[in-house]
Amino acid sequence: MNVTSIQKLTRKGARISEILRPLLGAIIVIFLLYRLYDVFIVQQEYGPETWLRLAIAGLVIGSVYALIAIGYTLVYGILFMINFAHGEVMMLGAYSGFFVFEAFKAIKVSTDPLVTFSNAYPVLSVLIAFLVGMSVSALAGFSLERIAYRPLRKAPRLVPLIGAIGASIFLQNAAQLLFSPQLRDVTNPEILARGSGWGIMVNGSRVILPYTGVFTFFLSLILLAGLYLVVQKTRLGRSMRAVALDKKTASLMGIDVDRTISLTFLISGALAGAAGVMWGIHNGLVYYFVGFIPGIKAFTAAVLGGIGNLPGAMLGGLFLGLIESLGPAALGIDFQLKDVIAFVLLIIVLIFRPSGLLGERLAEEKL
Amino acid sequence: MKAKKLFVVMIVLSFLFTACQTSNSPTDSPSGSAGDGVPAVCASDAFGCAVFKKGDVIKIGMGAPMTGGDASYGIDISQGGMIAIQDFGELNGFKFTLVAEDDGGTAEGGAAVANKFASDPAVVAVAGHIYSGATSAAMPVYEKAGIPLLSPSASLPALTTMGSQVFNRIVFTDARQGPPAAEYLFNKLGKRKLAALHDGSDYGKGLAEAVAARFAELGGEVVITEAITKGETDYTPVLSAVAAKGPDALYFGGYTAEGAVIVNQMKQTGLEDIVFFGCDGTYGADFLSRTGANGENAFATIAPIPAESPEKAAFDAAYLEQFGKEAGSLSPYTWNGYDATGALISAVKSVAVLGNDGNLYVPRGALVTAVRTLKDYKGVGGTYSCDATGECNTLPPMFVVVKDGAWVPAE
Repeated sequence: MNVTSIQKLTRKGARISEILRPLLGAIIVIFLLYRLYDVFIVQQEYGPETWLRLAIAGLVIGSVYALIAIGYTLVYGILFMINFAHGEVMMLGAYSGFFVFEAFKAIKVSTDPLVTFSNAYPVLSVLIAFLVGMSVSALAGFSLERIAYRPLRKAPRLVPLIGAIGASIFLQNAAQLLFSPQLRDVTNPEILARGSGWGIMVNGSRVILPYTGVFTFFLSLILLAGLYLVVQKTRLGRSMRAVALDKKTASLMGIDVDRTISLTFLISGALAGAAGVMWGIHNGLVYYFVGFIPGIKAFTAAVLGGIGNLPGAMLGGLFLGLIESLGPAALGIDFQLKDVIAFVLLIIVLIFRPSGLLGERLAEEKL
Repeated sequence: MKAKKLFVVMIVLSFLFTACQTSNSPTDSPSGSAGDGVPAVCASDAFGCAVFKKGDVIKIGMGAPMTGGDASYGIDISQGGMIAIQDFGELNGFKFTLVAEDDGGTAEGGAAVANKFASDPAVVAVAGHIYSGATSAAMPVYEKAGIPLLSPSASLPALTTMGSQVFNRIVFTDARQGPPAAEYLFNKLGKRKLAALHDGSDYGKGLAEAVAARFAELGGEVVITEAITKGETDYTPVLSAVAAKGPDALYFGGYTAEGAVIVNQMKQTGLEDIVFFGCDGTYGADFLSRTGANGENAFATIAPIPAESPEKAAFDAAYLEQFGKEAGSLSPYTWNGYDATGALISAVKSVAVLGNDGNLYVPRGALVTAVRTLKDYKGVGGTYSCDATGECNTLPPMFVVVKDGAWVPAE
């Protein structure tokens, strides 16, 4: 086969996909509109209070996804690898939070057995839980890079990816052996009791804004804003962006590339650790497998928003959380299918907008 | 025609059974072939014999969730089985032991454990598996290897209707658990609008559907039937959708790991005033510790706690002494674990042959038949006789409810 016939074939393939893509898009849009029409206009199954409840759940989980997704995006932006062990870094943070709360539960500060340290000094104990969780996870991310990824820096791109999957399996099993495979219940301080919150009356029904949910959501936003400032305004952020653009030139300009990469892993690990502690506080269950699904979802969120793009990861996380929780109700399908919705969305975005919703900013510049 | 066939089968079975019985008696003339000590029954048995030399241990297997969110079931039932080993586990100087392997309660785990047992020649019978999903995945392996099962807790109705030769159980089937639960909800509790949730497993789904069907038959309204994803920690979206339908009771077919999360999140999703009705999978101490005050007034169906008897008292005392907990606090099936293991040991004893060479021979095919034809075995939970499909229990479930942080019988 000569060159021209191959070109003809590719052109033909391109033409077919040019016709198919809009067709596929139209089918999907018509289907979605039909389902939405059916649910919202014909059936009207759910009142505003239900939609509000779903949106609250979606925003809370979405903000956790966003925090984890940042880690994927930061690392991808700089090293062009997917750190699949990131979910396990979050799991280590969740365990750290659990152990801190357990310790504070055991410390009695008065003769009353109900007054434990975590209830007497709730702000302090939550703060310490986050500090410990973030430090442990930051350290885990840092060592991961040192031990597993740095030796593979020069290898083909697939090699560190497989290394990351190996690290993920290793961490999961290590946690299972160290902490036993049982589910652990996280005991919150009283002020952050799970299930209680501010009640709002909507449509004659009491919708609860859970304390843990509000706390998780706003803390995520603060951390995300802080990170954005670090990347955009500080010296470290500037060297991170420079390394992402071009490692060689950056090192010629006097930037310590290894140090910058290490710091990137430290930061993304700390954010994942915060997400882990939040997960423990909000959902209350910690076990060795707890990071896997959020990790995969956050990866999806990062791709949705355009991997390598910081605002994209934040937006992708919140968007994914909302879609997951509103989607089954809005389309009138089984709630068991929420993961299907999340991953179908990923496929659709990859077909129609391969660079994500906000575009693959850092990577584009690299090319 | 069919009856005739069955009759012939019964005759053959009883013949087989009695043949094994007679060869078991020590006064029997040496039935070995050519004097090498191998009894004749081994040559004729469809699956051959398991051979135990002096000092070997006869293994009873158990596939159970020993880790994860439902571990209390596996731990509790295997502990019951261990006491049975202590009580009955000795035959002509050969010791029995219980090997509890972790199948995680999953189908994949069940098949893996079954393959492990099938490749161990010392495993003659399995007291399990504990979960229905794991059991149905494991059954084909045992079918080929000729290893009989006697499950203390796998209650999926389909398990005994698939024509399995090896599967038997001493727990009620869900055909007897679901409909009574619906009747209890409708008649005793006066509920009219039911939400039926399940975890998508064979067991949970079958149960929730059976309850929903009976509830509708009685004249109640099933407002929503919904599946949840197993292993999650946030069910608020699905519970919000359930709340929108305005049910006055929520039935859940599934296990403690998910059931506890649902109970905890009901009050933040507008379901704070409705009744949670679980099943035999959501009973136990784990449910109480994980739900705390939220678990108050939650219902469950369990195998009836055995009537007080000297045997039960002895078992409860032994359990408390060895494991530091009240029998029955972890799961409803510890007595079933004891009875299933005990019944299997008695079946092994009824078919095992001591050869002239001092080895013990357990004919596998005869053991399969012996377990299926178990008759009037007296355990702490009652007297068990297996029918032709492998159902060995006719007792209906009982209802329990959480009051002041403890499970008590519901009136």
